[in-house]
Amino acid sequence: MLGAAQVLSFTTLIMMFFGAIAGIIAAAIPGFTVTMAIVLTLPLTFSMDPLQGISVMLSVYVGGYTGGLISAALLGIPGTPSSVATTFDAFPMARNGEPGRALSLGVWASFFGTLISTAVLIVAAPPLATFAVRLGPWEYFSLIVFALTIVASLVGDSLQRGLIAALIGLAIATIGTDPMMGRPRFDMGLELLAAGLPFLVVLIGIFAISQLASEVEDARAIKTGEKLVSGTIEFKTWAVMREVLMRPVNLIRSSLIGVGIGALPGAGGSIANLVAYDQAKRSSKDPDSFGTGTADGVVASEAGNSATAGGGLIPLISLGIPGSAVDAILMASLMVHGISVGPRLIMDNADLVYGMFLAMAVSSLMMLVICVLSMRLFLRVAEVPKWVVVPVVMVCCVVGSFALNNRVTDLYLLAAVGLLGYGLKALDYPLAPLVLGVILGPIAETNLRRALMTENDWSLFVTRPVSLIFLIAAVASVAWAVRGILRRRKERQLKKDTA
Amino acid sequence: MSQIDDFKPSQESGEIARLLSYVALLAASVGLFIEATTIPTSRFEALGAGAFPMLVHACLILLLVTAIIGSLRKLPAAAYGRFGAEAMGWLKARRLVLFLFLCLAVFVAGIPVIGYPVAAFLFLIVLQVTYAPKTRVTIGIAVLLALIFSFGLNWLFAEVFNVFLPRGL
Repeated sequence: MLGAAQVLSFTTLIMMFFGAIAGIIAAAIPGFTVTMAIVLTLPLTFSMDPLQGISVMLSVYVGGYTGGLISAALLGIPGTPSSVATTFDAFPMARNGEPGRALSLGVWASFFGTLISTAVLIVAAPPLATFAVRLGPWEYFSLIVFALTIVASLVGDSLQRGLIAALIGLAIATIGTDPMMGRPRFDMGLELLAAGLPFLVVLIGIFAISQLASEVEDARAIKTGEKLVSGTIEFKTWAVMREVLMRPVNLIRSSLIGVGIGALPGAGGSIANLVAYDQAKRSSKDPDSFGTGTADGVVASEAGNSATAGGGLIPLISLGIPGSAVDAILMASLMVHGISVGPRLIMDNADLVYGMFLAMAVSSLMMLVICVLSMRLFLRVAEVPKWVVVPVVMVCCVVGSFALNNRVTDLYLLAAVGLLGYGLKALDYPLAPLVLGVILGPIAETNLRRALMTENDWSLFVTRPVSLIFLIAAVASVAWAVRGILRRRKERQLKKDTA
Repeated sequence: MSQIDDFKPSQESGEIARLLSYVALLAASVGLFIEATTIPTSRFEALGAGAFPMLVHACLILLLVTAIIGSLRKLPAAAYGRFGAEAMGWLKARRLVLFLFLCLAVFVAGIPVIGYPVAAFLFLIVLQVTYAPKTRVTIGIAVLLALIFSFGLNWLFAEVFNVFLPRGL
């Protein structure tokens, strides 16, 4: 009760409100991440009470997971790594003249996703955390193998080019220092490549720069002041809320995927949104509609990534193990206030922990209110002419890429990766598998090598039950995808023959 | 009809462009595979630092060889003759994209020399004035936005976030 009273005090609520706004804005700008927003917030919370400080940081966290949706839907550029899958359907929906619906779907899905994850956090934190930390490198590697099978859902027209793109992503991830022994690899003696290609620079280059370049392809249209979206923009938030609630299975499944992946240390929103999207597509009666602007795709991705916020807190609260960089900063903020984080946290500081749960729910409500009130303002972005949007967003991408590591060499990489992304896009290579390869590559390599370092026995991957389950799921997932591709090919052939 | 719709290269030219990309990727992948074999293995682990990249590049090489064979079988001999002219047409239709990448390259190369504010200001002015319809209002907006997102953003980062963007030599 003491925790609840502290969270619901006027001062805390006002500060949380501004925190949520800051999180939304930071994540909406390509190149600025939730982590950066949280890091910048941390020093401001030193003078606050522990619960007040962590509540403000949680509001930035929750706001940030939703903010990435704005640029993903309106510009086709994921504001954060966790909104990559949001671009697949929210962007086509916005370009089809429904940017208001795309944003509203994402906001409501994020809201419900956060609420579901908070409920799971309250009920299942201790058992889930115990399960999550029991997983060894064998299980992690098998999980990543399973996650890699998502490629089959993201390939678009050509399975071959999709697989090539995924392997290019994996190859990009091997450049730089070896993750286990710190040995330099493929740096060609260049300082530029010595630290590897930072994941966010690749993400911004591949998605943002190539998308911005695509916007100026049509010289005649841009010189006449063409806008991002033409026509009247409609905004019916309550109707969209009903639309989201009409998809309970998708919403709950995607949220639970988000919680589960968020609870695994090292995984997070960047994987959860893709897995949730993939599962929604596989279980859909109309999988071909995915990628063309379907509501199910937006709901799955946004519920999935927002639910990782609650999931990430599970190992942190139950065991004192941060699940992601953001959770590590939250943990640091507790430690700054002299609170030791570990299995006894919930017993010694029950008010604080339950206050955190309440702060999560309040933050998601604030995020919803802020987004609904400011949606019309965000939608104005769609009415800005391309000759303004393209150069300005390009500068934001450059600043964001520099601010990640304060390295000018990252900017050269950004330009090169942007050109590569545009070239691949022009040649009909799907870009999402490439990004998936860059995300999953280092996790797969680290866990494979760690597993074999622990015990040089490959059979452990199939004799450990959880690892075996993930591998069986991966095989089933590939078989399912191949079946779908063959069926679609057969249908196309049949149509051609009939015509 | 847009300018991009006016120019549509044939499917064969698209396939030739992809074939060239497969060949370029194959050359890079073979080179990196060979380099991966030279990475020494630590005595503390079964797999060395080169094992995972070798696995990735081996798969990539296999896929690219299959893709090259598939493309060669698909393409008629006459298609190669048209490719040069169609590729030039494609590039010409996308002259604003090429200009964008050229400006981006000059911008990022100029940042360490003249500093972020000046480089960003010039980048924004040049791109906006090139792309915008030429009226006094659009030029005014372009100058204002260039000032905000160059000097303004530099001030915001330095004063509020304590992140100092490059100042130049």
